Amino acid sequence: MKRASFVLASLLLTVGGAGAAAAQTMSYADAISQIATVCKNDIARYCKGVPLGPRLRACFDANAARMSPQCQQTTGAVYASITRRATAQRDIGDICSADIMRLCGTSFADANLVTCMAGLAPQAMSPRCYQTFLDTGWATEKARP
Amino acid sequence: MKLHHSLAIGALLGAAVVTAALAQQSINSSQMATSLANVSGNNKLSMTGAQMRQAVLDYIRDNPGALPPRPMSFPQLEGLTQFVVEVDFDFGSAVIRPSSYRTVGAIADALHHPLLLGYGFLVIGHTDSVGGRQSNVVLSQRRAEAIREALIEPFGVNPAVLEAVGMGEEQLRDPAHPTSGVNRRVQLVNVGKKFCFGRSGEQFVCQ
Repeated sequence: MKRASFVLASLLLTVGGAGAAAAQTMSYADAISQIATVCKNDIARYCKGVPLGPRLRACFDANAARMSPQCQQTTGAVYASITRRATAQRDIGDICSADIMRLCGTSFADANLVTCMAGLAPQAMSPRCYQTFLDTGWATEKARP
Repeated sequence: MKLHHSLAIGALLGAAVVTAALAQQSINSSQMATSLANVSGNNKLSMTGAQMRQAVLDYIRDNPGALPPRPMSFPQLEGLTQFVVEVDFDFGSAVIRPSSYRTVGAIADALHHPLLLGYGFLVIGHTDSVGGRQSNVVLSQRRAEAIREALIEPFGVNPAVLEAVGMGEEQLRDPAHPTSGVNRRVQLVNVGKKFCFGRSGEQFVCQ
């Protein structure tokens, strides 16, 4: 029951999308395809031939003033979400190490651990660990096939 | 240019090859991760990326001609779990088209999936037969590197788990139609566990 309400809360947060103060991060596929869709014309005009990666982001920054407001807004929200998810996935081991030793009793960073965390009540974890786990996107992934 | 980009999924384990085509919008990174994580009985890659690149050049030198006489065989890759995606690039260039941004994002989602934490991957680029064989090796290498670089930044994939290799046109998927688009593809190969994790989350090179 606790797990069901946790998943439901995550879904509601996801539906909120990028505009909802980044309460939940987007998948990388959803995030970057927003840029491909919304910024298609701006990319063709200002960033043609610029590779996806750090140079595309630099191009958006350099041309922010002349890009369409929609594209400007989208790149801001999308890169914030991507950075937040990537940072959470990188740092969760440090941020949650005490919680997962206490609650899951398993070594960090395998699918079993993620399954354990997804089954925990949010309040069982420290708030920072819980937020980081939400930001990884793993709470809504199936950790096992 | 095709209107509908397709994604070919090949979960290749030993001799069993399963291929399905999905519309680009329905790329499923969980499915990709699950396929790539299916490593029971998986071998570890017994050669380095540099050795693979050299082997491709040696193959061209030993088998000259406008087209490769037969697809180059890479027995070292055959027992490894892999996944094939289609990524569109500008013509003759290593610039990924915006129409394929989602595919690259989906690869990033899959490589960050909990099932695949700590595994190493080869990103192998393949071209069709348009252009010279040597220059196609160079182009496919640059394309594989472009994907690797985008996966690292902004998507945060650990650079230490990714190696790019270009095979040019030396492994045509459809040798009877060497200029066909099905030959242009990117192969992701799980080369085995690179990093293991300790009880308190520390990461170390697996023994």
